[in-house]
Parts: sequence; structure tokens; C-alpha cells
Amino acid sequence: MNAAWLPLTALATSLLVTVVIFALPEEARKARTIINLLAAVAKIVLVILMVRRVAAGHEDVFSFQVVGGIDFVLRADALGVMFAGLSSLLWLCTTIYAIGYLEGSANRKRFFGFFSLCVASTLGIALSDNLFTFLIFYEMLTLSTYPLVVHSGTDKALNAGRVYLRYTLTAGVVLLLGTVLLYSLTGEHSFSSEEGLGDYLNDHRGLLTLIFALLVGGLAVKAAMVPLHGWLPRAMVAPAPVSALLHAVAVVKAGAFGILRVIYDLYGIELSVELGVTTVLAVAASITIIYGSLRAIAQTELKPRLAFSTISQVSYVILGVSLFGPFGTIGALAHLLHQGLMKVTLFFCAGNYAEELGIHRIDEMDGAGKRMPLTSIAFTVGALGMIGLPPVAGFITKWYLGIGAIQAEMYWVVVVLVASSTLNAMYFLPILHRLWFRLGPAHGKGQWPKEQRLGRLETHGWLLWPMVFTALASLGAGLLAGMPFSPLDWATRVAIGEYLP
Amino acid sequence: MIASFDAIETLLALCLTVAALACLFDRHLVRACCFFIAFAFTMTLAWWLLGAPWLAAAELLLGVVLTGLCFFYALGIFSPDASPKLMRDSLHEPWSRAVARLVLALGWFVMVGAAIRYVIAEMVYSPTEHPLLLAGIIIIACALGAFALHRHLLRRLLAFNILGSGVFMLLAGVAGTSPAAQALITVGLCIAWLGSMLAALLIRQLLHLEGVEVLGHDGEPKEQAK
Amino acid sequence: MIWRFGLFDSTFEPLVTTHWALVIALCLPLILGLLAALLPPKKAWPVALAGVPVLASGVVLLVAVAQVQLLQWQWEILGVSIALRLNALSVLLLLMTQWIGFAAALYTPGQLRLTATGPLGRWLWPLMGVLISALSLIWLATDLLTLYIALELMGLAAVGMLLLSGKAAALLAGTRYLLLALVGSLAYLLGVALILGHWGRLDLQGLAEVVELGPVAWIAAALIGAGLALKAALFPLHGWLSPVHGNAWTPVSALHAALVIKASLFMLLQLWSILLPDTFYAPRLIAWLGMLAIVWGGLLAWRTDSLKTLVASSTVAQLGYLMVVFPLLLGPDIELLARSLAWEGFWLQLMGHAFAKAAMFMAAGNLILATGESTLKGLAGSSRRLPLSLLVFGIASITLMGLPPSAGFTAKWLLLQAMVMSQQWWAVAALLIGTLLSAAYIFRVFRYSFDETAPRHHYQPLAPGMDLIALTLALIALVLGLLAHFPLELMHGGGV
Repeated sequence: MNAAWLPLTALATSLLVTVVIFALPEEARKARTIINLLAAVAKIVLVILMVRRVAAGHEDVFSFQVVGGIDFVLRADALGVMFAGLSSLLWLCTTIYAIGYLEGSANRKRFFGFFSLCVASTLGIALSDNLFTFLIFYEMLTLSTYPLVVHSGTDKALNAGRVYLRYTLTAGVVLLLGTVLLYSLTGEHSFSSEEGLGDYLNDHRGLLTLIFALLVGGLAVKAAMVPLHGWLPRAMVAPAPVSALLHAVAVVKAGAFGILRVIYDLYGIELSVELGVTTVLAVAASITIIYGSLRAIAQTELKPRLAFSTISQVSYVILGVSLFGPFGTIGALAHLLHQGLMKVTLFFCAGNYAEELGIHRIDEMDGAGKRMPLTSIAFTVGALGMIGLPPVAGFITKWYLGIGAIQAEMYWVVVVLVASSTLNAMYFLPILHRLWFRLGPAHGKGQWPKEQRLGRLETHGWLLWPMVFTALASLGAGLLAGMPFSPLDWATRVAIGEYLP
Repeated sequence: MIASFDAIETLLALCLTVAALACLFDRHLVRACCFFIAFAFTMTLAWWLLGAPWLAAAELLLGVVLTGLCFFYALGIFSPDASPKLMRDSLHEPWSRAVARLVLALGWFVMVGAAIRYVIAEMVYSPTEHPLLLAGIIIIACALGAFALHRHLLRRLLAFNILGSGVFMLLAGVAGTSPAAQALITVGLCIAWLGSMLAALLIRQLLHLEGVEVLGHDGEPKEQAK
Repeated sequence: MIWRFGLFDSTFEPLVTTHWALVIALCLPLILGLLAALLPPKKAWPVALAGVPVLASGVVLLVAVAQVQLLQWQWEILGVSIALRLNALSVLLLLMTQWIGFAAALYTPGQLRLTATGPLGRWLWPLMGVLISALSLIWLATDLLTLYIALELMGLAAVGMLLLSGKAAALLAGTRYLLLALVGSLAYLLGVALILGHWGRLDLQGLAEVVELGPVAWIAAALIGAGLALKAALFPLHGWLSPVHGNAWTPVSALHAALVIKASLFMLLQLWSILLPDTFYAPRLIAWLGMLAIVWGGLLAWRTDSLKTLVASSTVAQLGYLMVVFPLLLGPDIELLARSLAWEGFWLQLMGHAFAKAAMFMAAGNLILATGESTLKGLAGSSRRLPLSLLVFGIASITLMGLPPSAGFTAKWLLLQAMVMSQQWWAVAALLIGTLLSAAYIFRVFRYSFDETAPRHHYQPLAPGMDLIALTLALIALVLGLLAHFPLELMHGGGV
């Protein structure tokens, strides 16, 4: 039985919220909050329904014809549902956080409208079943994030927005060209079709490689792979919830997810290996990992450091994909989820420090652990996860990636992993040291840059609880990795689907 | 066609050409407008001779009377108050511009001539057999050159009207006076009259508002009134 | 190509209701316009009420065409035959005209009330009526005489409308436009004269059978092409376009950019496909000019400081997209599939652009009206004060940039596919560069509007419906991208 309404409704919830929010007046704060939260919860329920359907072996499809030979198709498959789950879970958290964060500031209607649109696009990306549909949501994501990046309206924000558009729109054009070339070659090609593009290998080898380069090149901009990463650190001027969303879920993950789709569902992993593109990709990913970490060390402000850390971490996903083996794949897919949870925690923490104490620079963080214990614990969990220490979720992915590399006999990848973990430790441990072991304003030494007493607890409740939740989730994803429906379990299910048809 | 008829036709063609040239290149505007009326009147006669009485009537009404009125309105003859009257075009064009326009007109002449040669094959052997047609081509070439050359709005408007008449003449020459051709020409006359009326109103209004009687030099309208 | 324009014998006679619908569609806008000149409507609702029968006639015709694909009418008046045809393409264009015309008419009372236009305001109505009737006639007519009449009526009405604002700059620009349009129409007439002299007939269907390629066809096509290109503001004959729009009233600009220019382009394509079928150089020339147009128009829009100039220059670039398609439609040795993709893409692009451009002019007009400033810098802070106008501008610009899910995107997709199939890489490059350029100039607007640091101005409140009308048009352009299947399917029915 095909429940076509399910993917459609899941998509429609956030789209509808966008429309309603734009229709409501700016002052209707309560109504907006309630609608936002209700929709976020409804979406989680819908995604859970989809997960259960997929687990039971159904794949719900919604489709209609756009023009002759081109269809708009939404399909809930295992990989898509995984990403949809991540985005809808983090949407709820980020929305709660954003409501607290933007308390009393201007232009909230615009912010939440585009925020919902952004999440709708992410969900569309997750559920789209062919490149045409994917492209629609991919560009929608670009457009809907622009107002979020320039939200504050300062010169710096506007410049960042311009750079962001330059990168992403050019990438969109490249992606469009690749897609059109592919459609002219093969006609419509569903992500779910069993046969890859292997039939075309003999006659069109060059063209296939070119198309692959165009597609992945276009996607790599959003995935912030070096040297196409320039927009990401600049986009840090956006408000903290936006950074969290951009870096943890929507934009960078959309790029990485697109690359996953291209390799696994469009070309097929065997064909990709045959074309020799995976090795190139592995090298590019490794360079990105190392370069991102090195640049992170050089940053003196908290958010840019996290941004470069993102650049580095997202490429783990790409690296895992290009390892050609079940363990690499599991590592990559699990990292997609784990990194999202951990990074969103870190950005929430950074936002909390900035809001409550006015901390932007790392050297201002001395002794903040005493003043804001929960936030600092959450930050510690996220940071340790990023480094890859057990029992946080990050450990699991690094472990699987390592095994994958050894199985694929690409030992240099192990070296890259070790090096990267070391570098991660080098830029996170000093922060933890400052948080917990240095004496600061909380011990009566100096002053916080701009302290506000936002709540009864260490900060405003809206800001605190989402962060606590995501921190617990990253911890739980590591501790309970063996449980059914854990990220690792689901990633394994997807990978098995790929390798054991 | 009989020979005596040809003589009259040739005479008409000559009159048309002379009137058109005088109208196009006379700097004294009132005189130019009078030449235009003479030209239109000759056109009426030509239509009559070609066996299109209705067309002649239309030309008389639209071409001579109504369009003529438009021109004199644009000149400011009918407004007795202090608003300025247009008398002379005192603008002088640089030689380079004139030469460029001459080349344009010549190129045009060659192109249309070639087309006519293909449409009416016997033109090759005896070009003088169709004097009105020949006059039409010459008038069009001159009028186009003048339209491109002049900057004074009224003179451009005159050039446009002459150009239109030349085109009608050519149309009648190549297609005869079939109902379809007559219909096309009548519509063309109406449009030319409506256009002239609009342009005459505009010229007056522009003169009234700004004292401008030309379009801006580089093609952009002058941004004076905000 | 000919059958795509519905130039073949139909097998069905039109029904009585269809006759009436035709009469209403062609004459009622004119009559309503005259009526409104006598009794100028102060509110939008009488306009809405009056527009209903016109829209209904369009729907009746659509239903009729959906059933029988092609309808033809022919009359003989004083030895001159007049022929009309209604196929899927023309009925779609007719619907487009009626809807955009209706939107512009609804928008007008608010505009007239807010800008205190004086006595000239009431003349807008009859001109608008003439314009819409003439446009409807252009989509339907199949003989050169009727086309000539309709083209000239449309042109004169358009000039008249653009002049109405009465400012000196508008008058100067309008005078130029008038003179150029008149000369353009003479070039067209001369081409028609050659055709009539050589082949002795004016009906397109008959001409399509007798025309053979030769000097006459070439010269006639060149004359007609030059005249129509001048009227359609095709590059490099676009110079008159932006000054004309700079001072015109908003609904006038919307109608002009959305429809008037397109009508000339439609005629150009139709006549060339008869006169110059399967030629190599002529469509190539247009395509090369189109590429220049994309770049030049984009740069013009990018460099300008005035909002209206930006919107008008973007029209030049957008027409470039359509020009680039000419070799695919008219050139030799194009596969059937590529040609049919290009054909669909062409019309989808044209329709999408028409709706989006109309919406964009209205949004720009609203912004200018509300802020009282016509420069981009004057928009600072408008994202907070005028979110709806800006949103409309944004939605319309999605179509112009050709980003999904708009009609512009679907059209571009079809065109790209056709170009890739026929290996026209230059055209592909032009299309993609055009996308980036249009994004560049459009986001300049947003950059200014998101600026929060500028001082606050006084904002004039707008009439309630003005933003909603524009929003509807913009949404139509957007949704047309996803629902492109329906119009294109209708167009498919007409042929093989």
C-alpha cells in the first residue's frame, strides 16, 4: 500500500508554516511560537511514521509530471528518512532555541518564515527521488538561507550574504548543467532504480566522468570542501540558531547528502570506483579535513573555530563514502547524524556564552564552567565527541571509518584520521582547559564582556533545554549505538541495502 | 498602359519627388509644411489616376486635411497666445553625421531596388516604365536619410510622413490596387495620421514644458524635470 | 513549424457559444475601456465585476480548443479576407493577456488614487482597452492585414499609455518611442508590400504553401524582422526601452513589458517560420544578438541605480533568452525532439516572464510609491517596513533568475536540454551566464533592502489590494513551473 500523503504532508507542514507565519502580523508572537512548535512536533510524528513504514519495508512515493519525461517525485527511502529524521529533530530544538535567542529583536516574522522554508527545503532534499526534484529543493535552500545569513542587516552580514550567494548560485548553475547533461544522456533516472549508470560506461566514459565532476563540484560548495569553503566562515555573522542550522543540518549536510545520493543511488558505488572518481574524492576530503583543522587552530574567536571545525568534520562523510566498503559507508552515514547532533550542541553553547556573558573570543572563556555549568558540560560533551573520544557518538564514526580504511587497504586514510583527531584535540582541549581549570570572572578575577541575567538558571530556559537535549542525544547515540533505531543501527540498515541488494 | 498616360504618370512622379525633396530639406518650417500639403495633394491625384478613387478620397481627407492640420498645430499657428511658434530649424549637423546618413540611405536604396527587381522582373529591362515606383523608391531613400539626419522633431515627423507615402506608393507599385493593397494603404494612412496627431501634441507639449524641440543628442532624453 | 502555429485546415466548425466568446474576448475590453473613460471607476470592485465576462470568454475558448485543437474563422469584407485561428498556443497567450490585463486594470484605481494623476488619468482606461483588444487580435490573426492593424493599434495605444504621466522626461522618451515605432511599422509594411507583390496573397496559411526561399523572401523577412525587432526592443534596438519605463505609471509598465513586447516577438517568430523555414544564418544572427543581449542587459541592470531601469533592463536580457532559441526553432537539421523541447521551453519562458515581469513592475511600483524614492539606495530598510512588496519582488525574481520551482526554471531546463541535444554549447553558456548575471542584479536590490542601518523614512501606506494583485501574478509565474505539464500538454495536442 502506498501512502503518498505521508511524504507530501511531511513536506507540507513546514511549507504551510512558512505561509502562515508570513500571513501573521509581526506582533503575533504567541501565535507564531505555538504554530512553530506544533508544526515541528507534527513533523517529527510524521517522520517517525515514515521511519516505521520504511522499517516495515514500504517505500511511500508521491509523484506528478512536470513536463514530458520529467517528474516531481518524493520517496521515503531509508537514506532519505535518515536525513529527514535528523532535520526534523534538530528543527524542533533549533526553533525552541531561536525563540529564546531572538526574544525582543526585530524582524522575527521574516526570520521564522525563512527558517521554516529552509527546513522544508531540507526535508525536500531528503525525500526527493530524482535529480530534478533534488535540484528544486537544493536551490530553494540557497534562496531561503540568504535572508537568514543577512538577518542582522549590518554591512558585514550583507557582505557575507553576497559571498554566500556567489558561491552557492554558481554552484547551482554548475549542478544544473550536470543534471541537464545527465538527463540528456539517460533520460529520467530515479534514485531508487536498481541499475546504476553502468550501461553507459563503454560509450560515454568521458561524459560520465564530466557529469560526475559537475554534480559533485556543485554539491561540494555546499558541503564546504576545500577550496570551495570560503562562504562558510563568513556566514558566521548570522545569529547563533542560524549558524547551528547552517552548520549542523541544513546547508552543509545537504551538500554532503547530495554527494551520497550521487555516488550511491545515481552512479552506484561500483561505477564510481570504476571511473576512479572515489580516489580523487578521498584525497580531496582528506585535504579538507586536515586544512579545516589547521585553520581552526588559528582562530581566536569561538564561532569561526567551530566553523572551520565543521569544514573538517563534514568531509568525514565524504571520506567514508569514498572508502568503498560497508564499514566506510556505515561510518559516513552515522557521521551525518552524529556530527549534526554534536555540532548543533556546540553552536548552542557558543550562542549561550555570547548571549549570557557576551563571550565571543576564546580567551574570554576563562572559568566559565563555574558560571554556566550545564552549558559548559554540554560543550565538553560536544568537543569530546568531535575529538572522537568514547562514549560520545563521534567515537563510533571514527572507529568505523578506521576499520573501513583498513579493509579498503587505504592505510594513509588511517594516518589522516589520526592526524585529524590530534588536531581536533589541539583546538578543543585548550577551550575545555580554559572553561574548567582557569580562574576567571566567576572566581572574582576580571569581568565578563557583557553579562546579562537572562533566566533563573544559568541562562534563559528556551536557550538551555534544547542544548541539554542535544548534548544528551549525542551522548546517547554513542552509548546506545547498539539499540534498534539508533543512528548507527539505521546507518547499518542503509549500508546493507546498498551492498547486499 | 498607353503612352500618353505614361507621360502624365512621369510628370506626377517628378512632381512628387520634387515636392518631397523640398519638404524634406527646407529649413523654413512653415514652407516645408506647405510643401508637404502639396506633396499629399499630388499623391491624391496619383491615386485617382491609378484607379483607386476611394484611396484618393482617403488621402485627401487623412493626408491633406487632417495631417496638414496636425502640422500647423505643431507649428503653433493655431495658438494665438504667447506660446512660442516654430519657424526655422536652426540646428546644424556635423558633416560626419550627414555622410553616415547618406550611406544609410544609399544602402537602403540598393536593397529595396534589388527586392523590386526580383518582384517585378521587367523592371530590369525598362526601369522608366514604372515612374511612380521609381519615385517611390527614391522618396523612401531620401526620407529615411532625412529621418535619421534631422534632429528637429517636426522635421523628423515630416520625414516620417513622406516615408510613409513613399512606402504606400511602392506598395501600390508592386501589388497594384487590389482590394488587399488598398486596405493596407488605408490602414497605413490612418495610422500615419494618428501617429502624426500624437506627435504634434507631444511637440507642442514639450515646447510648452521645456522649450525642447529636439531629442537629446546622445539619444538619452534630458533629465531636467524631476 | 507551420502546424505548430495552427496554420492548417481545421476539421471542426466553431460552435455558437464559441462565436460569442470570441466576440466578447475581442471587443469587450475595448467597450469597457470606453465606458470607463466616461465613468472612471474609483474602486477596484467595479473593474473586477466588469472583467469577469472577459475572463469567462477566455475560459470558454480554452475549453473549446481543448476539445477540438483548432478553430478557424474567415470573413470576406469588400474583397478583403480576414482570417482568425485559435489553437492551443494562441488560446494560452490570450488567457495570459486577459489575466495580466485584468490584474493591471485592478491595480489601476489604487494607483490613480494615490498618485493624484489629474485629468489625464481617465484616458488610461480606453487605451488599456484598445491595447488588450489589439493584443488578443494579434494572437488570433492569420493574415498580414489584420496583423498590421492589430500591431499598429497596440503600438499607438502603448505609446499613448506611456505618455500619460505627463512629465517632460516621459514625453521625450515617449516621442522617441513613437517615432521609432512608426518607422518600424513602415518597415513591416514594406515587407508586407513585397510579399503581396510577389505572391499576391496575405493569408499566412496560403503563403506558407507558396513561399519559396529566395531574395524576395529574404528581403521581406529582413524588413519585417527589423521593424518587429525595433518594436520588441530586441538587442541592439533596445535603447528606447528603459527611458520609456522610467517615468511611466506602474500598470502601464507592467502591461508593456509583459505583453506588448512579446506580441512583436510572437509575430516575428511566426512570420519568419513562414518566410525563412530551415535557414541557417538568419536565426543564428538573432541568437548571437541574443547572447549579447543577455550579457549587455544584465550588465545594464547591474550597473544602474534606479529600480525601474533595473527592471526594464532585465527585460532586454530576458528577451535574449528567447532570441537564443531561434536557431533551434527555425534552423535546419534540428532533431524533432530537440525542436519540440525548444518550442515548449520558448513559450513557457515567454509566459513565465510575462507574469513575473508584470508582478515585478507592480512590486517595484509599490516600493517606489511607498518609499517615495526611485533609487536602489532609497530602498534601505524596506524589508522591515514593506515586507510584502519585497516578498512579491522576490518571488517574481525567482522566475526571472530561472531558479526552481518557477516557470523560468522549467523553461530553462527544457531549453538547456534542447541545446545540449543539438550541441549548441554557446547557447548553453549564454543561458547559464544569464542566470548568474540576473542573480547579481536582483540581489543588489535585496542587499539594499536588508540594510538596517539606514535612517527611517516616511512610508506612504498603499491601497489594500495592490500588493495582493502583484503577489497573485508572481505566484502564477512560480506555480507555472511545477504545473507546466498542463499548458504544454495542451500545446502538444495540436500536432504530431
